[in-house]
Amino acid sequence: MADEPLDLPACLERVRRRDQVAARQLVEHLYPLVIRIVRSHLPRRVAEEDLAQDIFLKMFTRLDQYQGAVPFPHWVSRIAVTTCIDQLRAQKRRPEFRWADLSENEAEVLDNVLTDERDAIPGDALAAHELVHKLLGQLKPDDRLVIQLLDLEQKTIAEISAQTGWNQTLVKVRAFRARRKLQKLFQELQSKEKS
Amino acid sequence: MNRFDQQWQKLIVLARQAGDHRDAAPPFGFAVRIAAQAVVLPAASPWASFERFAMRGLVVAAAFGAGAIIFNYSTLVSDQSDEYAAADTVGDLLDLS
Repeated sequence: MADEPLDLPACLERVRRRDQVAARQLVEHLYPLVIRIVRSHLPRRVAEEDLAQDIFLKMFTRLDQYQGAVPFPHWVSRIAVTTCIDQLRAQKRRPEFRWADLSENEAEVLDNVLTDERDAIPGDALAAHELVHKLLGQLKPDDRLVIQLLDLEQKTIAEISAQTGWNQTLVKVRAFRARRKLQKLFQELQSKEKS
Repeated sequence: MNRFDQQWQKLIVLARQAGDHRDAAPPFGFAVRIAAQAVVLPAASPWASFERFAMRGLVVAAAFGAGAIIFNYSTLVSDQSDEYAAADTVGDLLDLS
């Protein structure tokens, strides 16, 4: 069933008529998209399944508001992004980032990046991935999202604009602000490491 | 490209190599559970999307109100009896002088 292409307009029409089978098919069809966004922007101490559930329930309650102005997956992406950002805003203040918070591998990768001493080794990728997420966790949720999409997922400004509903200038401003904050973080870490 | 950009790009390129190999299929029973709830959910009001701005709107309105009072405070507390006395409209109309 999962291999069959879903006729989205027909499925949406059936969902609007409260067809449970169509609702299930829609969830199964959109789950990979939603879970990718959730995993990219998951707040601390929130289960990804709970957040995905919130997003799908919001989607169903607002379905009558979907006018077809943007493709349906884009509309769902915006709900997912907004829900994740709301959750990130609601969580406690970000703890101060310290060198001691890094695992041995993460500290080694960061040291390597900052000092440019040696080439990366295969095991560094996972540590770098964790490290980047810790660094992004220090940014404001909106800024974090932009850097996540721009640098990690390599999306264009236009694609980010479509996914978030923010205009392209705002996306650029947030990217600039986020990079400046990251630069400050790098400088702080470097100075702490030296001391 | 400055030094930070080079460092950040190096880190990001490395992080991208890790990828995300987790399963993107819904957990067993997830879609059925959501679908069962979806068919009994009431539709959201068209105004529901404005609710998230309501509290902020109230704070902004209160700030504007307080600002207006502070800005016009001197006018509000000044004694205006002289102005009323000076503007003797009835006297002017009847030309009693």
